[in-house]
Amino acid sequence: MEHTEHLEHTESPADIKKQIWRTFWILSFLTVIDIVLYFALLSYHSMWKNTLFILLGVVKAFYIVAVFMHMKFERKALAGIIILPFMLVLILIWLVLIEGGYTFDLR
Amino acid sequence: MANTTTLEAEKKLTWGGGKSPFTVSYGKLMMWIFLLSDAFSFSSLLVTYGFIRFTFPASGANEIVKPLSHTAENFVEAMREAHLFSPEHWPLPELVFNHFPFLHGLHLPLFFVSLMTFVLIFSSVTMVLAVEAGHRNAKKEVAFYMLLTIFGGIAFLSCQAWEWTQFITEGASLHGNPFGPTAFAALFFIVTGFHGFHVLSGVVLNFIIYVNVLDGTYERRGHYEMVEKVGLYWHFVDLVWVFVFTFFYLI
Repeated sequence: MEHTEHLEHTESPADIKKQIWRTFWILSFLTVIDIVLYFALLSYHSMWKNTLFILLGVVKAFYIVAVFMHMKFERKALAGIIILPFMLVLILIWLVLIEGGYTFDLR
Repeated sequence: MANTTTLEAEKKLTWGGGKSPFTVSYGKLMMWIFLLSDAFSFSSLLVTYGFIRFTFPASGANEIVKPLSHTAENFVEAMREAHLFSPEHWPLPELVFNHFPFLHGLHLPLFFVSLMTFVLIFSSVTMVLAVEAGHRNAKKEVAFYMLLTIFGGIAFLSCQAWEWTQFITEGASLHGNPFGPTAFAALFFIVTGFHGFHVLSGVVLNFIIYVNVLDGTYERRGHYEMVEKVGLYWHFVDLVWVFVFTFFYLI
């Protein structure tokens, strides 16, 4: 089972470079989209707008973690021990949104 | 049948002990765990920002200040008189962060932070190119891309220093803020400061690795895994900036 020791992907250096630059253009494109949307929705205030910006951030985060940090090519177990505990932050956000709503009402 | 037994044997080999089930080295695994804990620190800061931001109403601008228009000397005063900046409202980011070096007096909302974002994305790319060169044991290429990454980091820090100076000269501090609630300025300094400190540490780490690369330490070792480890840290710093950018400048 020698092949389980190393999970090196068998792509050529040229392919990896291509993938790196593709990710760079995706990240740049998403950032430009962010800025364009910001100005397009300037006078529109809604929770949906904020959710949209956060989702765009999550997509960018996915590309950074998957390609730049090489997570896509690691074992699923490694991705699991990093990503699953981080999901606890969602509970924190949920609690804080409830609390923030009450504080807003008190103001 | 033969297939299942092979799979079972493989499973036993993976989790049976004696070797890492993650097929990464100890150092890399620990870097990941550290980044997880660091992600929690940043999350708590950004969630705090979200919480305080959420408890303030946004200031509603009826008219949009046109990008590229000329701003008056007393722009902040005028905004306060128009009640766009007041302690009761969270200020609109495009009215606060509207400066650009050497282009004084022009309303350039978010242009400078966008530039900072591109600088950081680009330095992330040069970092991952250094890692890729490391796989081929190409010492010169690793050194070249590491140097570019260090320059990117220094450029980002310089931009941040300029923005802080701008913000401070306009009267913002940890206990005062001409743009709106005090918490706005305080959180800005704490969160971008904490992130900037990470960038600074990253530049220092990258520099140490760069010197080691030139010295031939990794060439003698036979692999460039240290470059991958600092690379993980550097990409994490970029990742955090994505969210700092989203929370402070877009929301």
